[in-house]
Amino acid sequence: MSGSDAGGNAPLIRRRYVFGLLLRLCVNFAGGVGILFIILYFALSRPLPGDYGEVFLALRNLSPFLRPILAVSVLVYALLACGSTSALCLFILPKVAGPLYRMERILDQYRSGAHTRTVSFRYDDQIQPLAHAFNHWIGTVRRDRQRWLATMMDAERHCLQDEATCRAKMEEALRKVAGDIGRYR
Amino acid sequence: MKNPSLPPRRPRIRYVSPRFQGPAVLAFTAIIAIGGAIFWKLVDSGFQRIFLQTAIRGHYTFDSAYDIVRGLLSWHLAGLFFGVFLAGSVLVLLLVAATRHGIGKAVESLRASADRDLSTPIATGSIGEFARFGEKIDAARSHTLASVQEIRNEAAALAAGGIPPEEFRLRWEELKQRIRRIAP
Repeated sequence: MSGSDAGGNAPLIRRRYVFGLLLRLCVNFAGGVGILFIILYFALSRPLPGDYGEVFLALRNLSPFLRPILAVSVLVYALLACGSTSALCLFILPKVAGPLYRMERILDQYRSGAHTRTVSFRYDDQIQPLAHAFNHWIGTVRRDRQRWLATMMDAERHCLQDEATCRAKMEEALRKVAGDIGRYR
Repeated sequence: MKNPSLPPRRPRIRYVSPRFQGPAVLAFTAIIAIGGAIFWKLVDSGFQRIFLQTAIRGHYTFDSAYDIVRGLLSWHLAGLFFGVFLAGSVLVLLLVAATRHGIGKAVESLRASADRDLSTPIATGSIGEFARFGEKIDAARSHTLASVQEIRNEAAALAAGGIPPEEFRLRWEELKQRIRRIAP
């Protein structure tokens, strides 16, 4: 991990990220409403005809005439707002979805028995404590593994002496390893 | 002309998952569509009412239809913006809360794993993607626990004695190999 708050106590999702998302959402929706206003303004701002009778008729017929314009403008608003919000989801949410995907791949790799590298997320990715917690766990398992191997290697050194001592030391090492593994539950 | 000394710029990978982003996009789309439909219904009925009233009232002191519906349109547009934005904000906060809960449980479980507790299952909840992720972590922990238990049983069996030296030596080497395969 990188960055100063890369430790395990960093927040899962930073406030700045949430505020940024809300701000972009606000701009998106405001833009959509702005476009809706512009369409309706141009549709409604045409001057009404001159004399009293013509204006009366125009006003009586204006509502059915405006209905399709209103429907189309709302449709344009919905399409634009949906498009920009979808783009926002595709560009902002990967900061959570991306690390999750990488973690899933590493977990699959780990289970397959392949070499597992230390997990690191990008600086601006969220859920950083997940990588820290995973690395800490794998680190603990690796340290335990090294300790068990060291105990067994240490017992092997006694094989330079007689066979009985070697066997006794090996069995002692095995008991120690079995006891140590007993901490796993 | 390209400068050969400059390393090629690596494209930034943006991960798109229909499983993760798909439901969020659908939820936002539903909010916008519902907001738009309510706006259309209210403004349409408002236009019908206000134009009829204005036509009957007489006193045509306006230049365009916009002058008649300015107030109604402003209120409804403001209502549409605030309604959709508030609903969208609630959705964002719910998504953040679900992520915090789901991933928080996964982090807790990994921390417990570092304390050698590999059997307590994760309760990430039933939210699709996080539940699946929790299952993956549980599977990795179970895999480790099973490997470690096998090693323990083998070590205990070898330590119990009564095994011929040749077989003991073979199984000893095999056990070392098995230990090396944990968290490679």
